Amino acid sequence: MQRSRLRRILHGAWPRLLAIGILVGIWQLLVVIGVSTPGGLPLPGPGDTLAEMGYLIHIGVLLPALAQTLERAAIGYALALGVGTLVGLAVVRVPVLRAGVGSLLAGLQSLPSVVWVPIAVLFLSFGGQVENAMYFVVIMGAFPSIAMGVMSAYDNIPPLTFNLARSMGARGPHFYRHFVFSAALPGYVAGMKQAWAFSWRSLMAAELIIGSVASSGLGPILDDGRNLLDVPEMFAAVVTILIVGVAVNDLIFAPMERGLLRRRGLAPA
Amino acid sequence: MNLALAPRPSLVTLEADEAFVTLDGVTKVFGHGKSVMTALESVTLDMSKGEFVCILGASGCGKSTLLSLVAGLDNPTSGTIEIADGRPAVMFQEPALLPWLTVRRNVELPMRIHKLDAAQRNLTTNRLLSMVGLMDFADHRPHQLSGGMRQRCALARALAQDSELLLMDEPFAALDAITRDQLHDDLNRIWQETGKTIIFVTHNVREAVRLGDRVVLMTPRPGRIAQIWDVEITRPRELDSFEVSGLASEITARLRAGGAPSDATQ
Ligand SMILES: Nc1ncnc2c1ncn2[C@@H]1O[C@H](COP(=O)(O)OP(=O)(O)O)[C@@H](O)[C@H]1O
Ligand SMILES: [Mg+2]
Repeated sequence: MQRSRLRRILHGAWPRLLAIGILVGIWQLLVVIGVSTPGGLPLPGPGDTLAEMGYLIHIGVLLPALAQTLERAAIGYALALGVGTLVGLAVVRVPVLRAGVGSLLAGLQSLPSVVWVPIAVLFLSFGGQVENAMYFVVIMGAFPSIAMGVMSAYDNIPPLTFNLARSMGARGPHFYRHFVFSAALPGYVAGMKQAWAFSWRSLMAAELIIGSVASSGLGPILDDGRNLLDVPEMFAAVVTILIVGVAVNDLIFAPMERGLLRRRGLAPA
Repeated sequence: MNLALAPRPSLVTLEADEAFVTLDGVTKVFGHGKSVMTALESVTLDMSKGEFVCILGASGCGKSTLLSLVAGLDNPTSGTIEIADGRPAVMFQEPALLPWLTVRRNVELPMRIHKLDAAQRNLTTNRLLSMVGLMDFADHRPHQLSGGMRQRCALARALAQDSELLLMDEPFAALDAITRDQLHDDLNRIWQETGKTIIFVTHNVREAVRLGDRVVLMTPRPGRIAQIWDVEITRPRELDSFEVSGLASEITARLRAGGAPSDATQ
């Protein structure tokens, strides 16, 4: 059972490994060709970057920065989840809100949340503390996806489900518990998944702009590399950011969504 | 001529004087202005307790509308519907199992909603699952079942509602002939065991004759009762028996005379 599961995961992983292999190959090719900055700094290769990551871990920089950034991401995401869910429910439940707020949310979602950074720093960084500003930027980036996820999840519940609930005499809490929540769950999880991508992007933008001035994190490492013209450090930061983004999606949201759909017979077993 | 008040079939002896379901001049109009559409016009029908009534008609003649009115999911434009006992259980035209619940959980759902305790729930669920022959599939999810099994599950769930009146909207229309034949037998048996009152909607003439104590033929635009037949063929009935075929062709002839689409006569 455990064994076959492992085998299945490995089996599912090989196309991904191939894609990574191709990417790394192209990267290495660019290094071999001798791509460099106009100033003559060479492009670090995959090996150099890996070595730099090892070095940054060794001197105790990378892991604390990663932890700091993940903590911000978790708190910011949780806040966005709360705000987005409340806004989504309000829009779904209150007809007057629907028309107005619905289109506003779509607008907000297309607004790059990085534009909130200067404003957030101005209004929310008390005594040089920038955490609140970062949370704000993450919330603004991610909550529209959650709220729109709630809306579309609710709207996509088939009318038959409502009729079924009524014919069974399900009202109030029973109606929500047995019918609405479960029926809306896949749409909600799809919104959660999308919101993760948005919050990770927003956080990186915020960290990069606010930079090393008053904080640590992956963004500040990147900023630090820029200031010191340390190209391998910049690449180490970018690769770490990429790995985290993909890993959170692959280890948390994708399995959650797949499990839900599989149980409903909407995805291959 | 009010055919709806034809004498009740001799099979039904239970409280024969008191109607269990009464439809009186039920009319349903959809839309307004130019797009007015009369789906049902003055449908009058009495049903007694324990009776099995088949509503027969081509698609679009208001059968589903009629059921949703009786189910209380919608209100008639005029006329009245009275049911002697509570809320009817409904088996919808589309498979309406909740895909995130197992067969057992689906069947249990009405009892959870009506707050039965776990022991009683289990007992009833087991009884219903074996009644519809799904005991071995209790832990499967709807998508793992065949079409026939899904409808058995939906039937068990409707029975779990413990309502005297069961409304069935073309429940077997999407099934193959062999499976449908089995389900006819099962439904006939379950109806005899449980004594439910059933309104069964179908566009299949033989199905109506095979199952019903009465067959109520409807014609479209507007949906009206055209004629009612008492079916006095002894049960259990065979789909291709001489009697069933005989009455079916009589009804089919009447259907053709009414100008209804011929695809309804299969
Ligand atoms: N909610 C509705 N709004 C408007 N028209 C409807 C609605 N429901 C049914 N109708 C119309 O009423 C007529 C009868 O429909 P229906 O009861 O579904 O027929 P049947 O079940 O016999 O096929 C059809 O012409 C259909 O288009
Ligand atoms: Mg119908």
